[in-house]
Amino acid sequence: MNLVGTLFVVALSGCAVAAVAAVLAPPRARLRLAGWCTAGAGAVGAAAGVAAVMADGMTSGVSAGAGQRWSAWLPELLPLAGVRLAIDPLGGVFIAVTGVVAVCAAIYGIGYCSHGLDGRAFQLVLPLFVAAMLVVPAAASVSTFLLAWELMAISSLLLVLAEHRRRAAVGRAGLWYAVMTHFGLVTILIGLVAFAAGAGGESFEQLRAAALSPAAKTVVFLATLAGFASKAGIVPLHVWLPRAHPEAPSHVSALMSAAMVNMGAYGIIRIGLDLLGGGPAWWWLLVLGLGAASALFGILQAVVASDLKRLLGYSTTENLGLVLVGVGAAGFFAASRLPVPAALALAAALLHVVNHAAFKTVLFLAAGSVLHATGTRDLDALGGLRTRLPYTTAAFAVGALCASALPPGNAFVSEWLLLQSLIHALPGSGVAGAVTMPLAVAVIALSAGLAVATFVKAFGVGFLARPRSAPAERARESPPAMLGAMALAVAGCAALALAPTLVVPALGRAVGVVFPGREVVSGELTLRLTGVAGMISPLLIAVTLVAAASIVLGLVRVSATRRARRAARLWDCGAGPISARMEYTATSFAEPLERVFDDVLAPESDVDVTPMKESAYLVERVRFHARVPDRIEHRLYDPLIAAVSAVGRGARALATGSVHRYLGYGFWALTAALIVLVVTW
Amino acid sequence: MGVNMTDAMYVQLLDLACGAFLLTGVLVLWRRELSAIVWLFALQGVALTALIVVLGSWQADLELILVGAGVGALRAGLLPYLMRRALVAGGEGRETQPLVNVATSLVVAAVLAMLAYALSQPLVRLSPTPATQAVPVALTVLLIGFFVLVTRRRALSQLVGFLLMDNAITATAFLTTSGVPLVVELGISLDLLLAVLVLQVLTTRMRAAFGGTDLDELRELHD
Repeated sequence: MNLVGTLFVVALSGCAVAAVAAVLAPPRARLRLAGWCTAGAGAVGAAAGVAAVMADGMTSGVSAGAGQRWSAWLPELLPLAGVRLAIDPLGGVFIAVTGVVAVCAAIYGIGYCSHGLDGRAFQLVLPLFVAAMLVVPAAASVSTFLLAWELMAISSLLLVLAEHRRRAAVGRAGLWYAVMTHFGLVTILIGLVAFAAGAGGESFEQLRAAALSPAAKTVVFLATLAGFASKAGIVPLHVWLPRAHPEAPSHVSALMSAAMVNMGAYGIIRIGLDLLGGGPAWWWLLVLGLGAASALFGILQAVVASDLKRLLGYSTTENLGLVLVGVGAAGFFAASRLPVPAALALAAALLHVVNHAAFKTVLFLAAGSVLHATGTRDLDALGGLRTRLPYTTAAFAVGALCASALPPGNAFVSEWLLLQSLIHALPGSGVAGAVTMPLAVAVIALSAGLAVATFVKAFGVGFLARPRSAPAERARESPPAMLGAMALAVAGCAALALAPTLVVPALGRAVGVVFPGREVVSGELTLRLTGVAGMISPLLIAVTLVAAASIVLGLVRVSATRRARRAARLWDCGAGPISARMEYTATSFAEPLERVFDDVLAPESDVDVTPMKESAYLVERVRFHARVPDRIEHRLYDPLIAAVSAVGRGARALATGSVHRYLGYGFWALTAALIVLVVTW
Repeated sequence: MGVNMTDAMYVQLLDLACGAFLLTGVLVLWRRELSAIVWLFALQGVALTALIVVLGSWQADLELILVGAGVGALRAGLLPYLMRRALVAGGEGRETQPLVNVATSLVVAAVLAMLAYALSQPLVRLSPTPATQAVPVALTVLLIGFFVLVTRRRALSQLVGFLLMDNAITATAFLTTSGVPLVVELGISLDLLLAVLVLQVLTTRMRAAFGGTDLDELRELHD
């Protein structure tokens, strides 16, 4: 067993130890033991992922390094199929991301879980969830993959349901999540089983070598795409995401949003690009279209959301949409025989996965800290947290800056790379490319602009100004474990933002798994794209920004100190002192955008006037409700649910309570099936 | 041991056992006295025992013969004994009007036999030995057992329907394989005994609560 294998096995053992510790340890030590074991396992897992990427790089790019890749075949572990594991650089990237997120989430959990979440069951499931997410990218056969996938789904479902006794909404969110994740599992199961049947074997090597008919390949691709899209929260299968993320405990939200949804993207890359070996261009235009729709829809819903974690959930849909734009573009360029932009687009997609994981961890952990301190996620009831939660505010500020795709944030780098690949492919990608790529560029630009508005709103309304409610006024900073975890995640963001040159070449090796070829980018301080003209130096941009900002501030200070300072009341139109009710709220901040996108968002508002008994002209009470429903949910899922429940109610007529009738159903069904068998066989 | 059994004799004995097995199954549909039905079930148990013993002697397999003896003790001895006890305790002599009358039931049995024959042709083609050629008989009894389960009102005759199905499944297993492992057969038999004991308790309770065992009177239990 080489280094990668050793580290990976140690990481999984660490998760097992954490699970055992969660069950056996006395309640006082349980959180610390389980938390630190999970964190250690995550760290070792991340090291395994990094080692897998690096081990392959010894032989520089081309897949000649395959000999050093770790793989294992454990026939005794599972009946019939056995367990087959292999870690290549592509899987390594996702393992590393999962590991790092797990470290932050586990340390955070030590502080966060001390009120009500320190039970055995919850602490037991968390390391299992981490282990499942580490195994998914390492699986090298259909059965292993599906098993890990299902373990990941079930354990995350249990974690989402952790607080179901406190809020009724948790149960509903869990139900949505359970249905969607199992819909996804079923379609992936159908796709992969059909694939394995066509290939005559279930290991990924056999699948890679299989020669399926184009129609069969299309069926496999579309079935698995539906399942992976539902896990990645891609429109129109995203409905579980804005429900489950807010209701899960915050570090679980971070794990799900920063690590688990990535597995959807991983699945599409692994099955579509690697095992099926590309495919026709329309597959990838479909992926690109889904990604673009998700990016726009997600960020539009996020910009009008006033629940902090719901906003972050929709932002996950947006970012995974951008990742799929990259993956779709990569597949499309590969199908159009443009290897250089293809590799670049895939590298951009992977970089965005890494960046999104980093800033979404920060944001969800900070949101959890706010929730912990104030007990509410409603932005309209927050505000004024800057002085009360200084560290959380700082962390959220970094996360928000990164998420809004502005320099010097890290998402800026990946979106820039993505735009470069789309723009540079234009000359050679034919009519379809000439139509699609400008549209994709426009979508990315629009979503980046709306992301700025979203995170200005989340930060400005949530943390600045004055507190809008009593809980926000009484907020106290979170315990050190939570702050430490946030600091760790912030450090990750900063590293990715300032030195993407450390990460991108490694991602180039992961891209090499799918598109063997040269390095995508080079350079130590400056990212130089190889093959196309383009370079960027995030570090220099950051230094320039800091220099410019300090010069401006210095000049202001120099010119401002001349005047004497005078304390005076703000002008308040003569309406008395300015109160918190006069501040911008999240709803009012988003209102202009809501108007602009009125046709897309279809907001609902409702004025309810109750007149007094004595006279219809005297009003006792006026109520105003405004909400922005998820339109896809409204149009697509509500009729579906209504139809299913109508069928269910109709089916009650079949169940009259007569035992004979029930037996008769069985008898006639069996006989009919046998007759059909006899006639058709 | 009948190792020196001739081919012709083996086939004849096997067909005789299978014929008895089928005939007892069909007769369950015909008779309406509960005591007669229990008798027929016991006879079918004997036929099944004979079937297994013939197969065991032909293969010179002592274990198979022992399994056959065990099956006989359970299905021709213990289960009929338990059912007769329940019958005596209840004092309901006859199946009341069944949901499908006797003449129609017999016609349906003929149709089911044809279906079973058509259905088992692919199985027989796989290895056309005398034993597999008798599989249609077992499948017919399976379908008839299910039919009894669906159309009879009394708890006891339904129980017999269920046991007919199980007899048929056992017969199919022995006819298609060269002997079911002892452990498997033991497990099935224990399951069966448990099912009968549970149903016996249920019948007693039903009688105590409702004064009869017509299952259609249990309609109020639905959701």
